[in-house]
Amino acid sequence: MPDLAFLAFLIADGALAGSIYALVALAFVVVYKASRMMNFAVGEWTMLGARTTAAASHTLGLGLAGAIAVGSAAMVGLALFFNRVVLRPLISRSLLSLIMLTIGVGMVMRASATVVFAGIPPRVASPFPIEPFVVAGLPVSLDKIAAAAIAAACIVALSWFFHGSRTGLALRAMASDQQVALAVGIDLHRHFAITWGLVGVLSVLAGTLWGFVSGGGFGIELLGFKVFPIVILGGLDSLPGTIIAAFAVGILESVLAGYLDPIVGGGFSHVASYVMLIATLFVRPWGLFGRPDVERV
Amino acid sequence: MSYGRIRALQGVSLAVPEGSVVALIGANGAGKSTLLRAISGIVRPRRGAVRFLGEDLVGLPVHQIVRRRVVHVPEGRGMLARMTVLENLRIGGFARRGGADKARELERVFALFPVLQQRRGQLAGSLSGGEQQMLAIGRAMMAGPRLLMLDEPSLGLAPLIVREIFRIIPRLTAEGTAVLLVEQNARMALQCAAHAYVLQTGQVVLSGPAADLLANPEVQRAYLGAGAAS
Repeated sequence: MPDLAFLAFLIADGALAGSIYALVALAFVVVYKASRMMNFAVGEWTMLGARTTAAASHTLGLGLAGAIAVGSAAMVGLALFFNRVVLRPLISRSLLSLIMLTIGVGMVMRASATVVFAGIPPRVASPFPIEPFVVAGLPVSLDKIAAAAIAAACIVALSWFFHGSRTGLALRAMASDQQVALAVGIDLHRHFAITWGLVGVLSVLAGTLWGFVSGGGFGIELLGFKVFPIVILGGLDSLPGTIIAAFAVGILESVLAGYLDPIVGGGFSHVASYVMLIATLFVRPWGLFGRPDVERV
Repeated sequence: MSYGRIRALQGVSLAVPEGSVVALIGANGAGKSTLLRAISGIVRPRRGAVRFLGEDLVGLPVHQIVRRRVVHVPEGRGMLARMTVLENLRIGGFARRGGADKARELERVFALFPVLQQRRGQLAGSLSGGEQQMLAIGRAMMAGPRLLMLDEPSLGLAPLIVREIFRIIPRLTAEGTAVLLVEQNARMALQCAAHAYVLQTGQVVLSGPAADLLANPEVQRAYLGAGAAS
């Protein structure tokens, strides 16, 4: 493969992975925006979304759409339950204890998933042909393209939701100032629940798509670790920033995996996003796309 | 007609009639803001009732109270700094249904505060203090308030701007809205209100037509800085 074509291949491959990272990162950001709470278990949520959908597919014999629908219903139910029963009573506690709580919940999820889903394949088989097709001399796998297209559609839908819908406007108001949101008549609890519902759906979609492209080899919980550099680079509460950072991290990883991993040994590409994160924070402590809090008082 | 009837703090009882401006003056810490917070449901009074159109508001969640068109403009203006002026106004109408009503209300707000129309695409955080206060009032108007509570609208603003805002306050009652105005700037408040209450350490010590209070030597001495040139 000629050099330039190899680079193009790596970039395209990275962008495809980045689109799925973006979905997982968005699941983190919607909760953070609405409630300033950091969900350190997004990786586990995604894993559970994937396994629930896989279980629906394999045990109920559903097709892909049916499995996603059943998986989404189950995960939305779980997310709403978690929000109502676990988070709501703790709402006035320190953010730190909520963060610790999410880590604990993540551990419970990992442990229980291995028990509950024992013997069930962990992913839904990709419905797309395995044979890669060749574009301009580059092999492109169809399931990656399909996964990226679905991810992109979700991102567009979510952006519209936040910027074009009444509920999205309310969620952004909550992100900006909860007291004001309350004063204009927004029911905060209801909208916290909506963000968790979104987490449920996003975890199913991201987890299932990741299953298509990863072949199930990669520990899906580790997706959570990819998300932190992404959301911090993206500025924590910026939707466009998150999406751009997700693609940047995906491409960076892919390019480094192609060029550096053969030299320095496999695995450096997984660390690369953290190196980029640290470098960025030295220059822009508020992230690439976040804004320092400057306003007139 | 008594529009809102309030019993809070230590036996405080005041009435805000439809379509008029009622001022609540008093020193810092007299309990003025607490009273507004009790009415809008942010704090819950231990005893007593907030009666609005015959219904007791005590114990209702804040968003339910806003839905009953009781709207509070808190002290410090509460800007959604990273959202545009227009988005701030749109969120003001959140609790209200009916797109046509909201569009008409928006026209009204822009007529009252033309500067908001000019700056509608700008981020709220970039407005001047006076413009932010106008936006805070405009946002509350978007909810179609029947009782509008303004907490210290003059806070931190230059005298010229304060005068401009107080010129507009009486016009807010045009559609029957009752305005309950809490102010430390007693002179401005009494000049634009019809009726006023003086709150001192959680109790109403004086009340009456605003013009009478303005002429009252006691009020002049304690709150208007009598002796000093107007």
